[in-house]
Amino acid sequence: MSKRILCVPFDPVHDVGIKIIKNELDKNGHHTELLSPDLSPEVIVKIASKGNYDFILVSRTLGYGVAEMLARFVDMLDAAGVREKSKIVIGGKPITPELAAELGFDKGFGEHSSLEELLAYIEGREVKQAGTGLHRTKKDITSKYDYRFKHTEIGSLLDSIANKLITFTADKTSPGVERAKIRAEIFTTQDEAKKKVLLSDYYSLCDEVIVEGNTKKNFVKGVREVTAQEIINLNSFLGRSQPLNPYKIQYNEKQPLLFKFLGSGCPIMDITHAKVCERYGIDGFLIINPSWEARYEGLLQGCLTHENDGTITSFENIKLMRESLDESTLLTVRAHRGLNTPETVLLAGKAGADLAKINLVYGSLGAGTDPVRLAVDGVEAIKLAARYNMPFDIPGNDELSGVPAWKTLAGLLINVMVGIKLGAKPILKPLFCYGPHIVINGMMKQNFIDYNAAKVYALREIVNAPIWPGEPIAFMTQSEERVQSANATSYHASLAASTGVDAITVASTDEAYSRGPICITSRIDSIRAISDAFRFVGDAKFATTSQADYFTEDLINKITSTLREVDSKENLTAAIYDGLLGNKEDGAYPGKFGYGTVN
Amino acid sequence: MTTAMERVMDAIDIETYLVCNDANEGKKLALQLGQEMNLGEIDIMYQEFDGYGVRLRLRKYIYKPGTMYKYLTPEEKA
Repeated sequence: MSKRILCVPFDPVHDVGIKIIKNELDKNGHHTELLSPDLSPEVIVKIASKGNYDFILVSRTLGYGVAEMLARFVDMLDAAGVREKSKIVIGGKPITPELAAELGFDKGFGEHSSLEELLAYIEGREVKQAGTGLHRTKKDITSKYDYRFKHTEIGSLLDSIANKLITFTADKTSPGVERAKIRAEIFTTQDEAKKKVLLSDYYSLCDEVIVEGNTKKNFVKGVREVTAQEIINLNSFLGRSQPLNPYKIQYNEKQPLLFKFLGSGCPIMDITHAKVCERYGIDGFLIINPSWEARYEGLLQGCLTHENDGTITSFENIKLMRESLDESTLLTVRAHRGLNTPETVLLAGKAGADLAKINLVYGSLGAGTDPVRLAVDGVEAIKLAARYNMPFDIPGNDELSGVPAWKTLAGLLINVMVGIKLGAKPILKPLFCYGPHIVINGMMKQNFIDYNAAKVYALREIVNAPIWPGEPIAFMTQSEERVQSANATSYHASLAASTGVDAITVASTDEAYSRGPICITSRIDSIRAISDAFRFVGDAKFATTSQADYFTEDLINKITSTLREVDSKENLTAAIYDGLLGNKEDGAYPGKFGYGTVN
Repeated sequence: MTTAMERVMDAIDIETYLVCNDANEGKKLALQLGQEMNLGEIDIMYQEFDGYGVRLRLRKYIYKPGTMYKYLTPEEKA
């Protein structure tokens, strides 16, 4: 039922807040009258007593002596008999229910009150609870792309390079590929005796430390099983979520999705962090595994926690994380590091992850795996990603070793073409960073905008594919100082939004601090900074200078010449060994893990 | 009954400014501050001396990964 409301800006100047409220009340069918902001209490009381109002809505920001003035004002309204026919309500930034009652108001609304709370009070009904869900649907980052190559020469070179790689790997296998096949069979077989045999076959392809962990629970130092009680406790925590309207980081639908890393070592800590981040509007997470996992043949099984950096990528851990997240939240699993790439993708697919992180080039240059081994494992992993309908994201983090951006981008594009040929949906992840090659060559002397933007522009001119800068954005521009770190992230996020990319991976304000795990407050810091930056930029853009056009053209030319050189080699692995996608001078070395293990 | 400290999700960060003569004294005072606040050993995440004192970001982990998080135990529910 419609109410009559007198809106009173009890302030000599300010009436913005009450005007906004008045508009909302009008929209909801109520009859409002707004007074001017400079009326004396006597005049207001006179108007209030003459009219027939259900509510007198007073707006005031507190300052010295204002509380006493408001109390006197309420007394005047009472004396005039206003309260007999109207409820007297106050709203303002520092108002709390307690303060409102103390001053004699029937109700008070402060800066944390929602419009729904005010409406519910006015309309005499219960507040409509927002529920504990996130009120969003899962996004497919790849859905609007057809993967058409606009740059014909690059498309043609990549076609040749990808064909040679796929042919090279076609008759080869590795312990990693074989383990993935066995694990896939274990998942489907119901026959316990067969399962036992398969498990024995699996262990025959694993390093001793993995067999010891899985069969005798004699784990790597710092690793232990998560107890059943801990899982019960976690579920209790997850069920504790209070109804609340979640924050929305993006100011409009065009702004990119936001991803954060998870990899504290403990899946339970990861999940508690993720749940808080979800409420702050984070769209997805990347599970980062421990560095030692890369060195071993085989993966540990079970729900496991780890005291050091990196969360173990067991099926059970991925599944626990997936099931704890909101259905709309995206989850990607890092697969390209080390000797378990196909198996990791298989487990990610089986556990319901949405994406897998694979880069055949970076994995063999900056991440330590032998190029031939990763070629064989990577091709199998991409096939598995396609089978489980998981797009795969291709991080360009080799740039952090000192590899020039054009070589890194050439590597990303090779992965894209291999992915397309294998029926998968690749996602380009150029770095938004102040990388060593950029620093040495002064490409960001003028600003941090042009070169980062040029990477996106160059890729866009080459192929119609999704772009997701990372990893995280602002790499090597962040310090351990909180505000600086949050700002650096938010500026890069704004640049990403300006270039119209699909998603970004963002750091926390303690990302540069390496002596302990990331903490939740630091995660929230950067989210809030980005949220403000997205509101600030809105549908406007950070402008590039003409230098960005030069950089774009230069990158495309150099990507083309790099790919010509790669194509002149027998196959991709030979090109990697020869340093064409990053060499010793660049700070990149072909990895050693798994050397000589391909049959 | 849990303590407020046990309800900290992971770590406590302290940001402050200590008046001191140089960066070394700032560091000593920062560590002393942790002791005086009964936080035991704390880590200096960030320190910047500007001639009058140090701007600091300090961190004390209440829970590290893999430990038992008391705020998760049902009987300690809020």
